[in-house]
Amino acid sequence: MSGTLAVTQPLRRRSRLRPARIGVYAFLLTAAAFFLLPLYIMLVTSVKSMDEIRLGNIFAFPIQITLEPWVTAWTAACTGVACEGIRGGFWNSVLIVIPSTILPILLGALNGYALSFWKPRGANVLFAILMMGAFIPVQVMMYPLVRILATLGLFSSLSGIVLVHIIFSMPVMTLLFRNYYLSIPQELFKAARIDGGGFVRIFLQLMLPMSTPIIIVAAIMQVTGVWNDYILGLVFAGRENLPMTVQLNNVINTTTGTRLYNVNMAATILTSLVPLAIYFLSGRWFVRGIAAGAVKG
Amino acid sequence: MKLKLLTLALSLGIGALSHAAGPKAEVIHWWTSGGESAAVKTFSDAYNAAGGVWVDTAISIGEQARSVAVNRIVGGNPPTAAQFNTSKQFLDLVEQGMLNNVDDVALRDGWDKFLPEPVLNVVRVKGHFYAAPVNIHMPTWFWYSKAAFKKAGIAAEPKSMDELFAALDKLKVAGLIPLAHGGQPWQENIVFTAVLANVGGTDLYLKVLRDRDAKAIQGDAFKNVLLTFKRLQAYVDKGAPGRNWNDATALLITGKAGVQIMGDWTKGEFAQARQLPGKDYGCIAGFGPKSPYIIQGDVFVFPKTTNAEAIKAQKMMAGLMLAPATQVDFSNKKGSIPVRTDVDVSKMDVCAQQGLAIMKDKSRQLGNGEVYLNPDQNGSLSDILTAYWNKNIAVEKVQKDIASALKN
Amino acid sequence: MTIKPKQLLRQFVSWAALLPLASTVLVAYLGTVLWSLKISFTNSRTFPSDQYVGWAQYQRLFDNDRWLLSLQNLALYGVLFIAACMVLGFLLAVFIDQKVMAEGALRTVFLYPYAMSFVATGLVWQWMLNPGNGIQQAVRQMGYADFSFDWIIDQDMVIYTIVIATVWQASGLVMALMLAGLRGIDEEIWKAARIDGIPTWRVYVSIILPMLGPTVATVFVLLFTAVVKVFDSVVSMTQGGPGTASEVPAKFIMEHLFGRANIALASAGSIVLLLTVLLLVLPFMLVRSRSARVQAGKS
Repeated sequence: MSGTLAVTQPLRRRSRLRPARIGVYAFLLTAAAFFLLPLYIMLVTSVKSMDEIRLGNIFAFPIQITLEPWVTAWTAACTGVACEGIRGGFWNSVLIVIPSTILPILLGALNGYALSFWKPRGANVLFAILMMGAFIPVQVMMYPLVRILATLGLFSSLSGIVLVHIIFSMPVMTLLFRNYYLSIPQELFKAARIDGGGFVRIFLQLMLPMSTPIIIVAAIMQVTGVWNDYILGLVFAGRENLPMTVQLNNVINTTTGTRLYNVNMAATILTSLVPLAIYFLSGRWFVRGIAAGAVKG
Repeated sequence: MKLKLLTLALSLGIGALSHAAGPKAEVIHWWTSGGESAAVKTFSDAYNAAGGVWVDTAISIGEQARSVAVNRIVGGNPPTAAQFNTSKQFLDLVEQGMLNNVDDVALRDGWDKFLPEPVLNVVRVKGHFYAAPVNIHMPTWFWYSKAAFKKAGIAAEPKSMDELFAALDKLKVAGLIPLAHGGQPWQENIVFTAVLANVGGTDLYLKVLRDRDAKAIQGDAFKNVLLTFKRLQAYVDKGAPGRNWNDATALLITGKAGVQIMGDWTKGEFAQARQLPGKDYGCIAGFGPKSPYIIQGDVFVFPKTTNAEAIKAQKMMAGLMLAPATQVDFSNKKGSIPVRTDVDVSKMDVCAQQGLAIMKDKSRQLGNGEVYLNPDQNGSLSDILTAYWNKNIAVEKVQKDIASALKN
Repeated sequence: MTIKPKQLLRQFVSWAALLPLASTVLVAYLGTVLWSLKISFTNSRTFPSDQYVGWAQYQRLFDNDRWLLSLQNLALYGVLFIAACMVLGFLLAVFIDQKVMAEGALRTVFLYPYAMSFVATGLVWQWMLNPGNGIQQAVRQMGYADFSFDWIIDQDMVIYTIVIATVWQASGLVMALMLAGLRGIDEEIWKAARIDGIPTWRVYVSIILPMLGPTVATVFVLLFTAVVKVFDSVVSMTQGGPGTASEVPAKFIMEHLFGRANIALASAGSIVLLLTVLLLVLPFMLVRSRSARVQAGKS
């Protein structure tokens, strides 16, 4: 086969309908259908009336489309005494997410850099314990953390919740960057050291610029995690800084109250728009050859 | 002279300011859905009207709200009041000295004169009143869809457990779902409580749940209760596991199912679908003239503080929440009944009136499992019941397991 | 051999940079584990108490059918979830990397489940898998009267439904990580492989996959932590049911921490869970650190 297709490159570009190409699209479209099915149900439920939802035909297209659930979710859903929808916590969430994304990424990159290139003695033990920490469920750490933050005077404050997010994201962020830097050849680092670079200079001028793909992934993970975080914001942020997820959960969750499923679906989709926007916009950094180009240069 | 005038003016001004804004009360509760919101608003409106400032901190799901309240107390930033259930949930807080008592309000308003005994025993710990009870919910009502009954040819409301089984059989024959149920542990616990109350009777109920008498638990009467409980499982449809209670009520609303055993908050779902008690659906509190009225409910506790304004707020709240008119208003919107029977019942719906009438008979007042058992024991009991409901386990083994779970 | 001051300074700077890491690890993580360990030997209820009861909580734990079942479920769930996510994520990344049209849209389609709160999406999955009005019903209405898909109410099969829903949620992230790794591979390697005439799938399996080693390791650890902490999906899809058939350790621990006001039993559960993870991970970490040293020696 390789004999007859000696000049493989130009042939690949000309015949777009090769079986392999069709196979690629077939797989991707089938996978897309699997992934989109729940979203279809959510969208369709969010524009039905409760009477229609009670009939239980979850796949059926709405008999009558109503946008009221969306308006209610944003402006009028009850979340306690107040019935003002989920919009209240939007800016609080933004104020929490920004520092809770930037700082953990910086620290993770710093830790990963130190661990993979400088390897100070005993650091691997610290890293091992840190990774074990990633397996502890959040609630188990709740009581000790409350006491620690209370002692620091940071309980129920914006700085407190950012600190808590830094603590909980450190294992994953460090792991991401450390493993990413492990795949960068040591020659690069040694060459920079020979050129006279110190710890900080090499980090800022060489490693950080090369880390764009992993920074994007880290940002995706951290923004999603912090934006959707509920329990930490609820306990540590303080009443004035409660994130949007608290209102969202108040709208969706109840023990013995009535459930308005159409409003719940609309509220969930609305809340997820911010991480979704980040995913869509991060596209242009997923381009090939950034690290490769830097290696050559 | 000028200094004296200035000081006088300042103190008058400060005095005027502190009169303008009354005592601030931050309240943690878990009433977040539409109907619940309207209900809690009656409290906040009453409090604000009396000159206070209600600061609302609503957190969905009881367990979460309570854990936040506890964490805030531990972290040094307690709320003024926090919601708990009429249960042993807040006993540990009392033990650690983390709550203020409202003895003067209780004595002034005569709580021990009108509160039902199960509720009184919960809020009064070691002679002090540590919680303000605000409502009574009954978890074991039998709801039925009139349309479904008509279709199955059931002419009259069942008046005994046997008649209930006969009705369920008729529903099955008619092709409807006899018992609408959601397969979640707490819902199975409700079905069990209903059977224990109606088949076991008041004495057995107290022996098992309050006294935790091992002999009674291993006895034949309780065996019969468990077998009846398991018998009901055959009338539940296949899709029940995991289902939310609202979805089970929806089956009644759309006429697909006949009966549901659930608390009085179910009225909210019927109301949402514009269905009326007595017309579209029926409510049965229990079978027989002496059937017990199971009591569960909500209370507010007041975290310890020495801040004079906060203490004033706590006492104001405790007094306002138990006032008769507020009680009726709140319960109407919540689906519960007031904690006191000396209220005007004319504005309450048919089922609530039924409930209040039963409550007047002290011998029919029984607490829910969580009134007598601590959270750990209640949870262990729930685990055993839900396993028995879903699997084929010998009833003697279930009795043994329950006896050992409730032992400590 | 004298240590030059410059070397000392360099060691000091790198240690200083790791100070946040060190303090977090020691105070927050190590501190919490030691505290949990202490509590697990007491009879603490809502608050920590100093009354020691020896191994009583651990005895109670291993007498508890629900806990033992939760460990079994975790093992089964873990293997299936990690395998499915890695395979699906890798395939998605590879296929998207083939210069397809609308790559941005496709990437968002695979990633959006990760952005959504599982409280709502879990309920949607519960509805979809319910035999009464979900997929089983829909396929039957299309004419296949014998079609059956009622895993979610079957005590033996329910854990697989949790696998399906969580794979749906997490594969997109695996895809993103693998894609970042793939895009970091030098174009030259592809050109060389093409000139040598190696078929594409061989290139992926024998050349690319090994080069993605660190990425695969990261993905594996991330998925493993997700497995150990799995909670939201179980609560919103099945509430641990039918009965207790889909119980998982994190849910058991959580319930005893708050609902059942028994932090001693919950702490015992967390310690056991952590020890189990440690036992599984230790051999891996030893192997990896040895191979990392070998690799470092080579380069």
